[in-house]
Amino acid sequence: MVDRWSREQVLALAPDASARVGAESVALPGPWSGTGCHSAGDEAALWGECKGSGAKPYRTCVELPAPAYRCTCPSRKFPCKHVLGLLLLWSEGAVPAAGAVPAWVAEWIEGRREREARTASRRERAERGDRAPQAASDPEAARRRGERRERRVAAGLDELDRWLRDQVRHGLAGAQRAGYQHWDAVAARMVDAQAAGVAGVLRRLVAVPASGEGWTGRLLEEYALLRLLTVAYRRGEELAEPLRETVRARVGFTVTREQVLAGPAVRDRWDVLGQRETQEDRLRMRRVWLRGRRSGRMALVLEFAAPGQPLDTSLAVGLGVDAELAFYPGVAGLRALVARRHATVPAEVPRGGTVADMLASYAAALAEDPWLDTWPALLGDVVPASDPDPGRDGAWSLADPSGAAAPLLPRAVGLPWPLLALSGGHPVTVAGEWTPAGLRPLTAWDGDGRAVVL
Amino acid sequence: VSSWEELVSTALVGTERRPLPEGLAGAAGAGGALSTASEPEAVLLDRAAVEVARRRAGRAAGRAEPLPPAPGERAPRAGPAAGRRLARMLAGDRDRLLPEWLAAAAARGLRVPEELLPELLERGHADRSLRPAIAAVAGARGRWLARLNRDWDYLLGEGGDPVRAAGEDREVWELGGPAERRGWLVSLRARDPGAAREALAATWASETPPDRLAFLQVLDDGLGAADEPFLEAALGDRRREVREAAAELLARLPGSELQRRAARRGRACLRRQHGRLRDRLVAEPPAELDKETERDGVRRRAPVGSGQRAWWLEQLLARAPLETWIGWLGETPAEIVGLQRDEWGEVVEAAWTQAAIAQRDAGWARALLERGASAGLLVALPPAERTSRAAARLRASRRLDTETLDMVLGLAGPWAGELAEAVLDKIARARDDGNLVALCHAAAERLAPELHAWVRSLRREHGAVAHLAATLRFRHEMLKELK
Repeated sequence: MVDRWSREQVLALAPDASARVGAESVALPGPWSGTGCHSAGDEAALWGECKGSGAKPYRTCVELPAPAYRCTCPSRKFPCKHVLGLLLLWSEGAVPAAGAVPAWVAEWIEGRREREARTASRRERAERGDRAPQAASDPEAARRRGERRERRVAAGLDELDRWLRDQVRHGLAGAQRAGYQHWDAVAARMVDAQAAGVAGVLRRLVAVPASGEGWTGRLLEEYALLRLLTVAYRRGEELAEPLRETVRARVGFTVTREQVLAGPAVRDRWDVLGQRETQEDRLRMRRVWLRGRRSGRMALVLEFAAPGQPLDTSLAVGLGVDAELAFYPGVAGLRALVARRHATVPAEVPRGGTVADMLASYAAALAEDPWLDTWPALLGDVVPASDPDPGRDGAWSLADPSGAAAPLLPRAVGLPWPLLALSGGHPVTVAGEWTPAGLRPLTAWDGDGRAVVL
Repeated sequence: VSSWEELVSTALVGTERRPLPEGLAGAAGAGGALSTASEPEAVLLDRAAVEVARRRAGRAAGRAEPLPPAPGERAPRAGPAAGRRLARMLAGDRDRLLPEWLAAAAARGLRVPEELLPELLERGHADRSLRPAIAAVAGARGRWLARLNRDWDYLLGEGGDPVRAAGEDREVWELGGPAERRGWLVSLRARDPGAAREALAATWASETPPDRLAFLQVLDDGLGAADEPFLEAALGDRRREVREAAAELLARLPGSELQRRAARRGRACLRRQHGRLRDRLVAEPPAELDKETERDGVRRRAPVGSGQRAWWLEQLLARAPLETWIGWLGETPAEIVGLQRDEWGEVVEAAWTQAAIAQRDAGWARALLERGASAGLLVALPPAERTSRAAARLRASRRLDTETLDMVLGLAGPWAGELAEAVLDKIARARDDGNLVALCHAAAERLAPELHAWVRSLRREHGAVAHLAATLRFRHEMLKELK
């Protein structure tokens, strides 16, 4: 049996807000005809015909639990409002069960399965280590390509190093009047030099001079860390393997999915601690923090979606998954891929640590990776507290039973009202991201064990 | 000055204008083993990198004052499904139904899940009309939060604090903020009306005008003859709003001196004149308004478009208790309403209509409705009669004209029984126009939600009807979740 989804699960598939509104408008029985739902084992199919503006109704079909969907409407959104509307109707129990699927639905399902089988076998070949034909044909060419890239990156980072030293020689004061172009130009050169990671850091610096008091200090921090990266890359030969991988990853060398999956996997029951969505260039990115129940290990899974595409929704906060994770190389060992997912397990309230634990683990991680500026935090039995310093009126922090407090991100980033309301001055467990500016709370569990996304 | 601050101020000015801080100048490799750079700017950057890591890794935990814990709750929390739906509504989906969610939760003695309180309190900040309903379901946690955010402290003025006993803790009245003091007064008034009035009288002279108005309105609950001397005194207040609020309360107080004065003034303007064939009503609008009349809340200046004397007449007649006229102009409302009138007849009827609505007088409302007066009078009738009269009017109107629509829109929900049938019948058959859409939108919020299947069975292909069916279904599920 496939469990009916909640409305929230359905709407989470929507690629954007307007698709959500559109979905509501077709989630009425009126325009639909011939809807049905057929389930077999742990799979199910939903279908229906929706009257649109054209003469012929659109045919919509959804397969579960994957979900896979198709619709004959011309919308470029994926999934379109008809798919979402049909799912919403189903979630309300308004799609009748049917004994069998209509011919057109069966045909679609068949077609999709064939395509899937073809890609799966291709992927399997890749995982077994079969080289793509081009790479296999000429290992020498691949080596030459690699060397060429290293030279370009090295030249680019040398240029960045000169630029950084120029900034400090002429003084940072000018940065406040410099505007977007100032960083964008050098970021564009880093893109040309194939150092995309560095380019990303540079682009984000635009916001620093406008970030209020202390911006020069924050800008100097970023410049110093970039300079450190150029030095570390130049002297990569002298570094130990995991640190060298970290440096290369930060510069912008990517590791392929296949390479990661080829490494050892860690099986555990992973609790989803929290997630956060951001916009990176034109991609939507979701950071999902996981924690292994047995190992206590933290993991960060990144999910990306192009504009108009949905993000994967299978790792929802408050859910546990029995899964194997494959970790990217590097010293912090946070970023991971879900290599194999075995089952969904009932959620558990994670056991949080103290503020001192969190600070100590971050310090230890920094010793290995000084560029690390986001660290998973899981605090137990903390109570919201206000800062006793009257100069920081309105600054909030979380205090653990020993009285030690970790500041929350400053007021400008948003007040933690839902967290305050949930706690009411009573101990809660909080998962979030610790950053040099303070803690960004993502999820909280109250005394009754209810998980609330903040 | 720490070494980090020295580094920052040097970088701000630039190494070409300012030498490196002492200890770094000339020290090649001062960045540690990391670097062998000798240019000042490179030395500075390398030193800064070490400082960044040192400062970030060496950050010590701070100290902060934990918030005092909120008191325990008495009411159970609304269930997860109800909470999810409330979150959806707060995010803007069918948020016009919020009052119904709040009322249903309050009726069942439930409170709002804590994490939704901030958004709910924000709604109450923007929309005053929601505040009493929010106060009923916010629980102790809501009041705890309201003390932390000035935008939300209205909640403390709504009374009904489930934890603090009513009117205890006189300190709140003497030292609290305006909203908190109002809450204290509301609670005490509910428990001991006389004590609340005396507390207010004791501080009255030192209250600000907005507080005087807010506190005076609290006396509406439990209004009694003992309040009269205090309210009479308030008729002499310096602020017009306060005077008018006092007059309004006295007008509602049976047997008050103000009612007697209003009756006397009303009689002075209206009499029955015996005629040869039929008797008729003769009105004599006042030529001048005396100070005492104004003190009782009658406004001197006519609004634009009204004649001065007609305005005075309307107010004087509308303020007189309706029983004034029984025995003076006739024996029953029907007889009096049926009398022939002079040129002031329309003003007289408008005044009586206002009076019947304000005094909730069913006898007068019936008599006036028989004469074809405004459908607004329906509210003065007992609920069963109101709906059956409205249903009859709705059935009798051939088309859904604007007048009929306005009558129906004037009826509060829930619409059930005969009225619901008449409304659904109109929806099934009315012409497709703006009136149909307006009726559907009102019906969506006021029809009994069990009727959603019936609406669907109407098989009427229309966007507004589909919206009606979907909204009824939404409400049906919403109420089920709050059981």
